[in-house]
Amino acid sequence: MGSGLRFGYVSPAFLLALIISLRSICRVSALSVTVNNIECVYEYVLYDGDTVSGNFVVVDHDIFWGSDHPGIDFTVTSPTGDVVHTLKGTSGDKFEFKAPRSGMYKFCFHNPYSAPETVSFHIHVGHIPTEHDLAKDEHLDPINVKIARLREALEAVISEQKYLKARDERHRRTNESTASRVIGYSVMEYVLLAGVSTLQAFYIRHLFSKSVAYNRV
Amino acid sequence: MSVGKYHIVNPNEGFPLPDSHKVIVRVTSPNGGSYHYSDHVSEGHFAFQAVESGDYMACFFASDHQPSSTMTIDFDWKSGIAAKDWVNVAKKGSIEAMQEELKKMFGTVQSINKDMYYLREREQEMQQLNISTNSKFFWLGIFSIIFALSVAGVQLWHLKTFFEKKKLI
Repeated sequence: MGSGLRFGYVSPAFLLALIISLRSICRVSALSVTVNNIECVYEYVLYDGDTVSGNFVVVDHDIFWGSDHPGIDFTVTSPTGDVVHTLKGTSGDKFEFKAPRSGMYKFCFHNPYSAPETVSFHIHVGHIPTEHDLAKDEHLDPINVKIARLREALEAVISEQKYLKARDERHRRTNESTASRVIGYSVMEYVLLAGVSTLQAFYIRHLFSKSVAYNRV
Repeated sequence: MSVGKYHIVNPNEGFPLPDSHKVIVRVTSPNGGSYHYSDHVSEGHFAFQAVESGDYMACFFASDHQPSSTMTIDFDWKSGIAAKDWVNVAKKGSIEAMQEELKKMFGTVQSINKDMYYLREREQEMQQLNISTNSKFFWLGIFSIIFALSVAGVQLWHLKTFFEKKKLI
């Protein structure tokens, strides 16, 4: 549930704030970043062949004026500069890949539109000691492999839970906005209806008033 | 429980960190209370016990840089089970180390259990919300039909009496 991460940003001539937020700390924790254009998060992979898994959910997705925002792009770049994994135009997804080599990996979110989106993400780097590691380090017991496997399985469950929590948050926002929209639109409908019919009645009266020559009608 | 550590990564190894590489850090709770504030530092740490649930924000502010430069911040923020202080046993493979690992995993499993309850609760709340929205739609729809018919009726009645008064009907 913790992640050591690095992020880099260019500070322009204005005061720039990079906002990292942690959601619902009592029971949940997923880091989220508000993406205006590109936001990158760096995570260090210690060993070659480690499995990097994670997920991200765009929490603000169905913003007020409709969901014509197709989503954001997600790119993972390896330390050598080649793109390891990429997802385009999505509002949230899981990902998993085997890191070809160790080093600093860059996870970038790109928001092609001007409306800022908040992205809730979770990245986990999992390492299971292999035969080679067991041979190298005499302190490592074969049972450590089993323990590592168990820990990775638990981390997978935790990762899935965070994904579900983030999606639940987004659905809740949609539902709450629907509930408030129902009331708002209905009341507006009633007011408009009453107003239009009053205007209609007054207009017809005006057509028949003495100031307008009513025998023309 | 939540702990955080941050430091600005030195772009040139071996040389001291330039003075301009300083940030203002502010950690705020969902209701706006400040849990941590640091002015013009290049590293620091914070820890707090969360009182309320919601979005906690850690903001890093950089002052004007001429010419503009990129600052890399190494930020480690852990909360809940991951923030717990585990006894760090040095030698891998010893029984104590394995015990610590298993204890950690037991704690993790417990937190997974709690999270499942949380998810279930939230799902139930959303179900309630959806049911209530559904019934709201239904009643508001019926009411809008009645309202439209009554408005039309009032309009017709009003115009009828108006024309009768004007002796046109």
